[in-house]
Amino acid sequence: MSWLGPALAIAGKDLRLETKTRDVVASVGLFVLLVVVTASFAFPTAGAGREGVAAGVLWMAFLFAALLGMGRSMAIEKEDACLEGLLVSPAPREAVFLGKLLTNLGFTFAVEVVILPLFIVLLQLRPGGGLGLLVLDALLGTLGLVTVGTLFAAMAVNTRGREAILPLLVMPVSVPVMVAAVKVAEAGFAGGMGEGTLSWLLLMVGYDALFLLVALATFHHVTEE
Amino acid sequence: METHTLRSTATELATPDTDEAARTRRLWGLLAAISLTVLLAMAFWYAPEDANQGPVQRIFYIHVPSAWIGFLAFAVVFVASIAFLATGARRFDELAASSAEVGVVFTTAVLITGPLWGRPVWGIYWTWDPRLTSFLMLWLIYLSYLVLRGYVPEPIRRARFSAVLGIVGFLDVPIVYLSARWWRSEHPTQFVVEGGDLPPQMLVTMLVGVVAFTFLYLYLLSVRRRVARLRAAAELAEVGR
Repeated sequence: MSWLGPALAIAGKDLRLETKTRDVVASVGLFVLLVVVTASFAFPTAGAGREGVAAGVLWMAFLFAALLGMGRSMAIEKEDACLEGLLVSPAPREAVFLGKLLTNLGFTFAVEVVILPLFIVLLQLRPGGGLGLLVLDALLGTLGLVTVGTLFAAMAVNTRGREAILPLLVMPVSVPVMVAAVKVAEAGFAGGMGEGTLSWLLLMVGYDALFLLVALATFHHVTEE
Repeated sequence: METHTLRSTATELATPDTDEAARTRRLWGLLAAISLTVLLAMAFWYAPEDANQGPVQRIFYIHVPSAWIGFLAFAVVFVASIAFLATGARRFDELAASSAEVGVVFTTAVLITGPLWGRPVWGIYWTWDPRLTSFLMLWLIYLSYLVLRGYVPEPIRRARFSAVLGIVGFLDVPIVYLSARWWRSEHPTQFVVEGGDLPPQMLVTMLVGVVAFTFLYLYLLSVRRRVARLRAAAELAEVGR
C-alpha cells in the first residue's frame, strides 16, 4: 500500500510535534471541558430524560473539539510553507489527506477519551452496558466529522477567513452525522442499543464511507496550486 | 499555470455578451414574463378555492414551483461542479456560481411562503418535518457555498474550492432527508396533504407554475452568468494591468 507509509509519516510528524509542544490537545481539551461545565449549568442535566440532553451536550462538545483540532492541525502546515513541502514531496495527495485525517482523528480522540469519562461522572450518568456503544458512537461520529472537516480545513486555511470559516463549511454538511451520533449516545447513556439504534449506526457508516471516498477523490483539487 | 488558464479564456472574455446570448436571455425573460402572468391569473381565477384551507392554499402555486427550482438549481450546481473539476473550464464555474445564487433566492422564497401557509393551516409557522428540515439544511449549505466564494479572492482556487463544496453539499441532501425522517419518526402526524386527489384545475395550475418558474430560473441564470462573465473580464483586466 503506497499510501500508508507516507500517511503514517505525516501523522507521526504531527504526533511528535504535539508531544513536544502539547499545543492542541491541552488547549482544545480545556476548552471542551469548559463547554461541558458551562452546558451543565445551562441545560437541565438532572432529572428524567437527562440522557437526551446529555447526548446533545456531549456531541456539541465533540464537534467543537473536532473543529478546533482540525483548524489547528492545518494551521501548523501553513507555517513556514509546510503544506507546500508536503505537496511537492513524492507522497501521493491521497496519502497527504489520510495523514492529516489520522492526525485530526488522533487529536479529537485524545480529547474525547478524557472528556467522556469526566462527562459521565459529572452528569451522574449510568451507561452500564452502554459504554461500548458510546465508544463505537464516538469512533463513527468523529470519523464522519473529521473526514469532511479535513477536506474543508485544507480549503479553509487558503481563504481570507482562515480557520474562522471552517465551522461554516463543516456544520451544515455534518448535520446527519450529528443527529445520528446524538441518537446513539442517548441510547448509550440509557444503557445500550434501543429501537432504531442500529439504523443510526448504519447511517453513520454510510456517511463516513461516502464522504471518505468523495474526499479522497477531490482532495487533490483543493491542494493544487 | 494560473495565468495560463486565465489567458486561454481571454478571447472568450473579451466578448462577454454575444448577440446570440443576448437574444436567448431576452427570450427567457419574455417567456418568464408571459407565463408568470398566466400563472397569476390561473392561481386566482382558474384554480378552485380549497374547501378546507381557503384562499391561503393558493400560495402553493408559488411555493411548490419555488421548491422545484431550488432543487433544480442545486442539481445544476452539482453537475457543473463535477464538470468544472473534470475539465477546468471556467464557464462551468460561472454556471455553478450563478445557479447557486439563484437557488438560494428560490429556497428563501420556499422558506418564507411555507410558514405563511403553515401558520393559518397548521397553526404553527415551523415544524421539524423531514421536508422542512431538509430545505432549511439545503438553504444553509448553499449559503455557506456563497460565503466560501466570497472568502477566496483567487478565481481558480475559488472555482476549485466551491466545486468541492457543491459536490459534497448535494450528496449530503438525501442523507439529511433520511436522518430528518428517522429523527422525527416518533411523530406519526403527517401534516402535508399529498397530491393525487388534487382537482385537475389545481394540478394544471401547479404545472403551469413549474413551467413559469423554470423560465424565470433560466432568465435569472442567464443574467447572472452575464454578470459573472463581466466580473471575470474585470478581474482579468486587473491582472493584466
